[in-house]
Amino acid sequence: MLLHIRHETLYRYDRPAKHSVQSLRLTPRTETGQRVLAWNLTAPGRQSQQIDAHGNLMHLLTLDEPHEEIHITVAGAVETEEVTDSAPADRGRLSPLVYVPDTELTHADEALLEFAARHGVKQPGRNEVMRLAHAIRDSMDYVSGATEVSDTAARAFSLGRGVCQDHAHVMIACCRALGVPARYVSGYLLTGRDDHIASHAWVDVWLAEPERWFAIDVTNGVPGSVQHCRLAVGRDYLDACPVRGVRRGGGAETMSAKVEVSGDGLQRRPATPRPRLLQQHAAQQ
Amino acid sequence: MNEIFNEMYADGDTVRTHYSPYSDWLAATAPDRIREKLVEADALFRRAGITFAVYGDETGTERLIPFDIVPRIIPAAEWEFLQRGLRQRVTALNAFLHDVYHDQEILRAGRIPAEQVLCNVQYRPEMQGIDVPMDVYAHIAGIDLVRAGAGEYYVLEDNLRVPSGVSYMLEDRKAMMRLFPELFARYNVAPVEHYPDLLLETLRSVAPAGVRDPTVVLLTPGAHNSAYFEHAFLAQQMGIELVEGQDLFVDDEIVYMRTTQGPRRVDVIYRRIDDDFIDPLAFRPDSMLGVPGLLTAYRAGRVTISNAVGTGIADDKSTYPYVPEMIRFYLGEEPVLANVPTWILRRPEDLAYVLGHLDELVVKEVHGAGGYGMLIGPRASRAEIEEFRTRIVADPARYIAQPTLALSSCPTFVDSGLAPRHVDLRPFVLSGRDVVMVPGGLTRVALREGSLVVNSSQGGGTKDTWILAC
Repeated sequence: MLLHIRHETLYRYDRPAKHSVQSLRLTPRTETGQRVLAWNLTAPGRQSQQIDAHGNLMHLLTLDEPHEEIHITVAGAVETEEVTDSAPADRGRLSPLVYVPDTELTHADEALLEFAARHGVKQPGRNEVMRLAHAIRDSMDYVSGATEVSDTAARAFSLGRGVCQDHAHVMIACCRALGVPARYVSGYLLTGRDDHIASHAWVDVWLAEPERWFAIDVTNGVPGSVQHCRLAVGRDYLDACPVRGVRRGGGAETMSAKVEVSGDGLQRRPATPRPRLLQQHAAQQ
Repeated sequence: MNEIFNEMYADGDTVRTHYSPYSDWLAATAPDRIREKLVEADALFRRAGITFAVYGDETGTERLIPFDIVPRIIPAAEWEFLQRGLRQRVTALNAFLHDVYHDQEILRAGRIPAEQVLCNVQYRPEMQGIDVPMDVYAHIAGIDLVRAGAGEYYVLEDNLRVPSGVSYMLEDRKAMMRLFPELFARYNVAPVEHYPDLLLETLRSVAPAGVRDPTVVLLTPGAHNSAYFEHAFLAQQMGIELVEGQDLFVDDEIVYMRTTQGPRRVDVIYRRIDDDFIDPLAFRPDSMLGVPGLLTAYRAGRVTISNAVGTGIADDKSTYPYVPEMIRFYLGEEPVLANVPTWILRRPEDLAYVLGHLDELVVKEVHGAGGYGMLIGPRASRAEIEEFRTRIVADPARYIAQPTLALSSCPTFVDSGLAPRHVDLRPFVLSGRDVVMVPGGLTRVALREGSLVVNSSQGGGTKDTWILAC
């Protein structure tokens, strides 16, 4: 399926910021199941690019002139196709075992350990993984704004609601509690429903048989599909999120984003996701 | 417990040959003069401003690390042996780090379980496939040695992240030479003062390829850090800039230092900040101590970080039992220095044994450091043992256990006079183009009677260490 994507992100600051550094993971991965036909990133300041530890293309952005806004646009076309068992498995540079230890965001507390033990199996196949995802989805309603971007899996699970990031973290926490490698996926989703966000997060789970990553969209209770475009993977949100930044000065910040994903040339109405990003504010010097 | 090996005396009261000139001097020196010297030593260290903040101390007060005037003396032949063992061990540890971040041959050969390394949070995926100059990761290694039994040396642990304490080694020597010049006439003590020169040479030798005259800086977390004195001291001794994270920035994969003359390129960063805090864009996002984008510049090979990112996988207490295997695997040699026998509680049979012998063993948390989070069975109350048992059973993989070693002791001045106190030794091994070390290291002494914990955070002091020249 051919996906046309356009994603604009705008940060505005109350006062001019003196110095900003941002890492952007806003370029679709080149891997089995998707091919980047054209991609363009427009951003201010100087940029360098690098493949990060998890095989994602990362841009590092440096602005050292005073600035009141940072406007980032990515746009392009990606062709996706069904991933079959006969397709070569993307193993990457890292062993799947790297995705077994938990992180602060995916730490399983008592409640999650108990839940994982009840719904999971140690050597899951696709069906078991789907069942676990459905169980999570049944225990956590999708409620926009229910959680903060820095909330952990344990916190979101205890609330019983969250957004796609929380569903993904809870799924990862459960898998890891069972010793099963699982990683966070950040990307775009083509959806027919206007009210559904197009920036999205889901999970890769390592299957023992066949030995490969299996993508699962917990929020929608479906496996990864041709409607999913993968930007980045990592141990959790922090590794894979589209923008991570640090700045000096600038005062308070507002962020707005607009994502449009359309399939096969069929333009759909843009959806505006709730601003969620990790941006910290260095002490003003 | 077995007979304790005394560094100065054999069989209770026979002075060992290498200590006899000291013993003669001590016998000929009036107790009043010694007392004067103790007061003088205290004043010297206060003036030098050598203090150490104790973690977990609510008052946050800084404290003088107690210095003891009785030197730890090691004969030349013994040091030769230690040096051989240290060089071998550090070489193997660096080979291991290069291997686990590249082809992982030792894992594929089954000599170390893959999950032991790859499922360990100390393994940094960011380092996989990244080349570092000379393939050296641990440029500065502090290897903790102890003596037990009849005086045989054991490696207690390897410190390959940001080992500290070398400033005490240097200051202790300075103080001893000032307080007791006459002793240095009786002994031919090998010098240690050139450590900062060797360190700078090592750091320069691992600059990125093609850099002719590298700029080296020391990155400190700042004046609130317990080892800040050492950071300032070493930077001053090496004649390099002491910087904090905010003094550096990254632009187009190059690291710059802000100076009054404008940005200046930095090639080697001797960092005294843990991995987690060096780059808020790559590690802990809430850290304000590091430099945003530093990891990107590092992975691009534009700057050297010393020690390398990810060395923790080699000095983790759960990796420690495998070091002898690394020496055999990478060097094809038998280890010169022995490891302390270690039970790995992840293994069910080890766990069963240890749970049955908690009152005899030392149990350590694998990610703990500085003597925190450990149980010394023979010294613990029943309640403490039971509390630890609960913690072990809940998460056995977090612990290792070792026999309680009867650490050697060395005469030490305490309130009641001269008395034996347990000691260890931390030599500092430098690896760059060559593997070098100054003769000696930091001798730490447990000042509390019977205590086996020498960490300065736990009431330990230091002694000057004399390696006798041949």
